[in-house]
Amino acid sequence: MAEDTSVLSRRDVLKTSGAAGAAGLAGLAGCTGGGGGDSEYSSLGNYPVEGDEVVFGFNVPQSGSYSQEGADELRGYNLAVDHLNNGGGWVDDWSDLSGDGVLGKTVASVDGDTATDPDQARQSAQRMINRDDAIMISGGSSTSVAIAVQELCQEERVQFQCCITHGNGTTASECVRYSTREMFNAYMTGAALAPVLEEEYGSDLNFYQLYADYSWGQSQQRSMNQFLTEGPGWTQVESVGTPLGTSDYSSYLSDVPRDEADVLILNHYGLDAANSLPQAIEAGLDQDMEIVVPLYNRLMAEAASDSIGDIFGTADWSWQLENGPTQTFVEAYREEHDRAPSYAARIAYTQTLQYAAAAERAETFYPPEVIRQLEGHEFDNAGLDAETMRECDHQAQRDVLVMRGLPPEEQTEDRLLEVLNQTSRDDAGYACDAGPAADCQLGDYGDE
Amino acid sequence: MMILQSQIASILLNGLQQGAIYALLGIGLTIILGTMEFLNLAHGALYLVGAYTGLIVFQETALTNGLLYNSGITSIGFEGGFLAAIVLVPIVGFAVGLLMERFVAEPFYDRPETDQLLVTFGLALILEETVKNVIGGNTFQSIAPSTVFGVNVSQPVSLPLVGLFPSWRLIIIGFAFAVIGLTYLAIERTDFGLVVQAGTRDSEMVRLLGIKINRSYSLVFALGAALAAFAGLIGASIQTVSPQIGTTQALVPAFLTIVVGGAGSVRGAIAGGLVLGVILSAMTQTYSQWAQIVLYLFVALMLIFRPEGLFGTAEVGE
Repeated sequence: MAEDTSVLSRRDVLKTSGAAGAAGLAGLAGCTGGGGGDSEYSSLGNYPVEGDEVVFGFNVPQSGSYSQEGADELRGYNLAVDHLNNGGGWVDDWSDLSGDGVLGKTVASVDGDTATDPDQARQSAQRMINRDDAIMISGGSSTSVAIAVQELCQEERVQFQCCITHGNGTTASECVRYSTREMFNAYMTGAALAPVLEEEYGSDLNFYQLYADYSWGQSQQRSMNQFLTEGPGWTQVESVGTPLGTSDYSSYLSDVPRDEADVLILNHYGLDAANSLPQAIEAGLDQDMEIVVPLYNRLMAEAASDSIGDIFGTADWSWQLENGPTQTFVEAYREEHDRAPSYAARIAYTQTLQYAAAAERAETFYPPEVIRQLEGHEFDNAGLDAETMRECDHQAQRDVLVMRGLPPEEQTEDRLLEVLNQTSRDDAGYACDAGPAADCQLGDYGDE
Repeated sequence: MMILQSQIASILLNGLQQGAIYALLGIGLTIILGTMEFLNLAHGALYLVGAYTGLIVFQETALTNGLLYNSGITSIGFEGGFLAAIVLVPIVGFAVGLLMERFVAEPFYDRPETDQLLVTFGLALILEETVKNVIGGNTFQSIAPSTVFGVNVSQPVSLPLVGLFPSWRLIIIGFAFAVIGLTYLAIERTDFGLVVQAGTRDSEMVRLLGIKINRSYSLVFALGAALAAFAGLIGASIQTVSPQIGTTQALVPAFLTIVVGGAGSVRGAIAGGLVLGVILSAMTQTYSQWAQIVLYLFVALMLIFRPEGLFGTAEVGE
């Protein structure tokens, strides 16, 4: 694993020698400024961490349309906290982590409800920072929420670990130093999906797009247009915005030119897609053209399970991957919840552990040092083979999964999609001066 | 010219389908508002009740979270089919309406409108959260049947001018207008309907004439609830079902409908629903970015220039 090739850290020595009991770690952490008040670093944000506990804040949608996804995220977060404190799952395999908390402190958590509303999410995060002294916040199920919260975290010098946010803006023009994103983005979806669509459907086709008219949908349709035009040489007939939360798409679908369009791209996520896709099929559009849903999630796949057969899209991760970390996580999650985890649960779990591991490597909760440990970090222990948390834009360069919906007769409760292709990060990624990264100006660390 | 005719036909058909749901919601709300001068913000929750009742009657549905699931119940519902749902959903809606009138509305008839708004909105939230906690926050697939009386309704049909159109949507337009027609007849041609009509115009005068209109209140409320529940069933057959649908898909359209049609008027609710449906459909198919703006602008203009609506009386609410 990538982590095993890094320079031997103090924690590795302690773990290897077996001399690292919780008390010892706590003592050492105190000596080196791991979080106590006698730190070598000045106060910044919620640093130093006082007492025996360190608080993580999990800011997820617990009401509204995405509450189901938020509940999945919380399951992932809570499992991570449990493993950080008691061992288990990836904590047993990650050399940076001990299973005795983080830097000798027990991990406690608070959660808040974003209601998928940027203002409410920001208020909830503010409460976690001011009242609960959270040293790290993670969450989100929407790009607009992630952008709002990460902006706050930059101001407050509190680390934000993005959970679900797929719009380009998070690590483009709206990027901040105090936020990192492991999830892939709309640009990477376009890059991964276009070659597959060309291979499946051919070149020189016409495509028609419907997109959810907010930050994610806009960046997704722009990326699809760019990659389908530049790659297979397809031609966009028209791209039409639909209000977020639309439930009846019949009028929009009536306007799709059946004679002209070969492919219909539904840039809708979650509930929007759960309505637009079945209604497109109900209208018989699948008889005249191919349909593509660029971003899948479990909520959408379950709510439109009768309609997803042979429909292509991308996903952040799948429990069906056969690599070791994936299977370890799936097993741990199944023990707790008796079903396979969604990718929302995996990102939540990973982001919590990534922060904890970075703090351990930094040997302190001092935010700038933790950020420096996250930047440029190479790892291959999070279920997606080799990944890099890139320093220039805080966007992980990682593989992207291209998924295909299964016909209803082949579906099971957990298996609604199949992994068609794991597009390499070399093909899905982009340089620091290209794509969304070209617009990214990370803020300061706060210790300059 | 052919393209223009085709687009107009498509707009009218889509508008008719959307307008039928708005009209069902609007009729229920307007007779409650007109007769009892009671502002019912829980009307959307009755749509929710109809959608979930339809889901349960129509098919067995697997659960993945919620109180029932945590208690070991992994599925709900029975394979009753859509026709059974058409019969049972309005009955359940009617019963819920009776209970709501007796225990929530009736104690608030003589209270200020703000009290009515608060208690009914609170009730809507309670119902929504109860459904979410008991059945789970899952989003369920729409419940359109594949056949009706042995006829395949899952495939689109080719219509003159319009082209391919979902056959199920044609059928629900028929169902909706059949119910709207029956309701219209019940209000226009029966003694009960005459009392309701008189009540919407001047409930005080009806009382002075010696008619015990209070007895009709429960029936009016229950009828309005049954119509909203039926609208929920229709909605659930074309859109996904989740706990939020009452507030996000039903409540606002219901109020917009009676603003346009006029409070207390069944004819107004029908006309208002259809006008809104066609406006929304026309704007969506031509200038989609302006659809919501134009819809609300139209309603605002109605409030400014014709506050009594198309068919309403100025009596209500005064």
